[in-house]
Amino acid sequence: MVNVRPVKVDDLMGMQACNLQNLPENYTMKYYLYHAMTWPSLSYVAEDNKGRIVGYILAKMEEETQEEEEPHGHVTSISVLRSYRRLGLAKKLMVQSQQAMQQIYGASYVSLHVRKSNRAALGLYRDTLGFTLKDIEKNYYADGEDAYAMQLSLNQ
Amino acid sequence: MSKVLPTPAKRILPSKEATLFKELLTLYETRQLKKGQKTADQILKKFPEHGETLCMKGLVLTHMGKREEGIELVKKGVRLDLTSHICWHVFGLIQKGEKNYEEALKSYTQALRFDKENLNILRDAAQLQTQLRLYEALVDTRHTLLKLRPTLRQHWIGLAVAYHLNGNLVEAKKTLEHYERTLKNIPAYDVEHSETLLYHIHVLEEMGESSDALALLDVNAKSRAIVDRTAIMEIRARLLTKLGSEEAEHAWRVLIEHNPDCYDYFRGYLSNQGLSLDTPSTDALTILRDFSTQLPKAAAPRRLALSIASRDDFRELVKPYLLSGLTKGVPSLFVDIKSLYKDDSKRQIVEEIVEAARTDFSPDSSAPSSSSASVEPTTYLWTLYFLAQHYSYLSRPALAISAIELALAHTPTLPELHTCKARTLKRAGDLYGAARCADESRLLDGQDRFLNTKCAKYLLRAGLVEEASSILGLFTKKDAASPGADLEDMQSLLYLLEEADAHYRNGKLNLALKKYLAVQKIFNEIEDDQYDFHGYNLRKFTINIYLKLIKWEDRLRSHPAYIKAALSASQIYIAVHDDPSITSAASSSTAPLTDAEKKAKKKAKKAAQKVHEDAKKAPAPAAHEDKGLEAGVPKDDDPEGIKLLSVADPLEQAYKLLAPLGTLATENIDVWIAIYDVAIRRKKLLQAVKALNHARSLDAENPELHIRLVHFRQAASALPQQPPAPIGSVFTEALSKLLPEEVSLDTYNSQYLQRHSSSPRAVLAAAKVAHALQAPLPDVEATVFSTFGPDIKLDIPTALLFVLFLTTLKSSRLEEFRANCDARFELSTLFKPLTELEVLKKRALVANDPQPKADE
Repeated sequence: MVNVRPVKVDDLMGMQACNLQNLPENYTMKYYLYHAMTWPSLSYVAEDNKGRIVGYILAKMEEETQEEEEPHGHVTSISVLRSYRRLGLAKKLMVQSQQAMQQIYGASYVSLHVRKSNRAALGLYRDTLGFTLKDIEKNYYADGEDAYAMQLSLNQ
Repeated sequence: MSKVLPTPAKRILPSKEATLFKELLTLYETRQLKKGQKTADQILKKFPEHGETLCMKGLVLTHMGKREEGIELVKKGVRLDLTSHICWHVFGLIQKGEKNYEEALKSYTQALRFDKENLNILRDAAQLQTQLRLYEALVDTRHTLLKLRPTLRQHWIGLAVAYHLNGNLVEAKKTLEHYERTLKNIPAYDVEHSETLLYHIHVLEEMGESSDALALLDVNAKSRAIVDRTAIMEIRARLLTKLGSEEAEHAWRVLIEHNPDCYDYFRGYLSNQGLSLDTPSTDALTILRDFSTQLPKAAAPRRLALSIASRDDFRELVKPYLLSGLTKGVPSLFVDIKSLYKDDSKRQIVEEIVEAARTDFSPDSSAPSSSSASVEPTTYLWTLYFLAQHYSYLSRPALAISAIELALAHTPTLPELHTCKARTLKRAGDLYGAARCADESRLLDGQDRFLNTKCAKYLLRAGLVEEASSILGLFTKKDAASPGADLEDMQSLLYLLEEADAHYRNGKLNLALKKYLAVQKIFNEIEDDQYDFHGYNLRKFTINIYLKLIKWEDRLRSHPAYIKAALSASQIYIAVHDDPSITSAASSSTAPLTDAEKKAKKKAKKAAQKVHEDAKKAPAPAAHEDKGLEAGVPKDDDPEGIKLLSVADPLEQAYKLLAPLGTLATENIDVWIAIYDVAIRRKKLLQAVKALNHARSLDAENPELHIRLVHFRQAASALPQQPPAPIGSVFTEALSKLLPEEVSLDTYNSQYLQRHSSSPRAVLAAAKVAHALQAPLPDVEATVFSTFGPDIKLDIPTALLFVLFLTTLKSSRLEEFRANCDARFELSTLFKPLTELEVLKKRALVANDPQPKADE
């Protein structure tokens, strides 16, 4: 049905297109490249049988950690096209990325941000993917909206 | 050692100023720009002709945003001290900032003549050489760097990569081995070391030394020196397969268990056993069935089995697959299944099963089905949804619409149903109705950008550009000058191409060209994006992905969006060349703006003003703020694209756009046709011949090629004289091969029409050629109308091309043709009389007003 695999450089433009079609938070190609060039094994894509990217997780390791702090991963963006829902793709993408964070970089947990108003995404992160709410970051987004900071522990 | 040049007298400063100059360098390094400027001025007061100080001041000013003044000073400084490495280095930095890599490298090369061992200059030069793909020179530079600082790890990797890029794997391997021997005390779980080893293994694999690669992999996987488990498993399976090892099967199985949704792993497992996923095979089917049982949650083996199963097996497997998808309400079920329709019998089986399901699941089904009692009502809905897509895909729009109407009556609030109806109408040629349905879908979930994008796309397909813009604006940044500006900044190729096409269809070539060239600009940006990574990845040791980046960038413009934009833009350039009055018509276009256009303009102006005001309100940038060396985005003084359309050399512009495609899209016949169209007008006869030969090798009977072959013969005979030797003979020979001289063009054309009388595109081509050969208009029209013959399957896009052709002919039978089409394409509005279209358009508009009227 849908092929879930580690990202390749050729996928990045498809990833960007998928993001632009689906989410309000967008990035230029350089930012996708930066992710892939720094953490080549953390991002995953879901492609349909024509090779179109219909879902992705764009992930990284947190770089600004304190001296004693444990390393942890961060999901910059995760998204599945509306027309490819109910296949469990978000979960599959997330699981693959988490395993890589843990194995390669020894991540102890993974974090992400979500707009306070984005109920659909909040539901996905909390109910489907098991994230919990850690904090509210005021004015996190460029337009002044607050973000929920969420986390998922990887030490089970 | 090379001899050291004596320092020229004019460069030597007295000790006070010499100290100041050193300070200036430090101030620049730490980006204390304001202080730097003052210090420079202090020196220049006494020594106004000191080249190095002038350059440094220019550099500082450029960073401060005073670009023109700064660059002037730098140029002056270089002229005054042509043997200073500082002057040339600064000049190189400025040129690099302008993305003028070739000139920058020249300056760096000059700088290195006067300071051979400057690490910064060498590193920058290496990056420039990589960007310009000058790999031999790169090897030299990396070698020098390593010799100068062999203790820096990245210098070893840098040299290995340079050898690799230059095609010398043997030296790359030696360099890596040498490097690994120098390593001591590697910390555990070191990602950088892990990446280096994976790169080393990749080099061995590429050299065909599979067993050495495997040995290196196994040793370092075991010791945990390589930490990327997925990479280990993938490489291991690949190498074992190459080596024909018995362990390969197990290695693939491990991967499948690790990620049972990855097709590549199944493909690997099967191909290791000599089986493929592309041809039916009972052995492969048995394997996939076993995996389906072992991995009940994995979707891949079940779906893959459908591709290779035939007839009875297929029926047995597809039924539970379909029913489970319908019960779960998987929206993508049809899209997933339709690729199986290549096989007619499979399509039929699917149709039978889903039609039977419709009867079973129907709430008023009289047949007491065993299942219907427990069936969720949504299952019936998704069944209708599937069938609607199925019939729409098979060009049976009436059946599709009736299924979707049933579903909508059942549940009017499911956005997917409206989207489905929209797609069906779009395909059937009712673009306004399609836009309206997409809008209804959007209104059902205003938070969903996917539905918003769809709606805007459909509005653009209907030519409603301003309306699309206001819909898109619901999700774009509020502080952008316009929704389109934000989407362009975010590099949305989808938006740019859809809007460009809409303008093109609306006859606004200037606006269309503007957007097509915006697509080209994005590809330029992405090409520039790689620059920083030539240094960055060496520091991060992520080499395998970096090498893939280089390969990808080399083929960047083979992307369909670039091809589309280049082809369309070159068509516009050709049109302008053939008929320059297009330009004057566009620029003097005094067509009064529609209300929507006026409104949008006002809004854009307001937004632009607001951005401007916000910028003023923001705290004034501190004078020392670093603006970097890259040229900012210049103000757009041609928002309508009039200047773009009126360039003096449209053909040269088209040639440049198409040039990369001659190597990157050689399999695309449209590319060769376009290259021909440009070449023949530029009088580049050999290029024209080459393009036609390429096109012919791809598809000798292609309708567009047919038109060009005749065109070429006509153009050749119109030449005032034979082209001079040596072109002349090559040209004449090629010409006679492409289209034998003894055949008359009329005969040639009628033979072509006879061979392809059932293909609408070929009929159109033959009609166009007949017209070019000055056949009487009624004859041309008769050929056009033969496309309504009983054996010809005319489709809507081709019918529209016929309409366009008849329009250019000023044919009196145009309305007759449109009426014929209108009768044939029942749901389509495209061939309605223009007066009726205006009414339909307005109806689409009412529903699409995103805000209540009271708003403005």
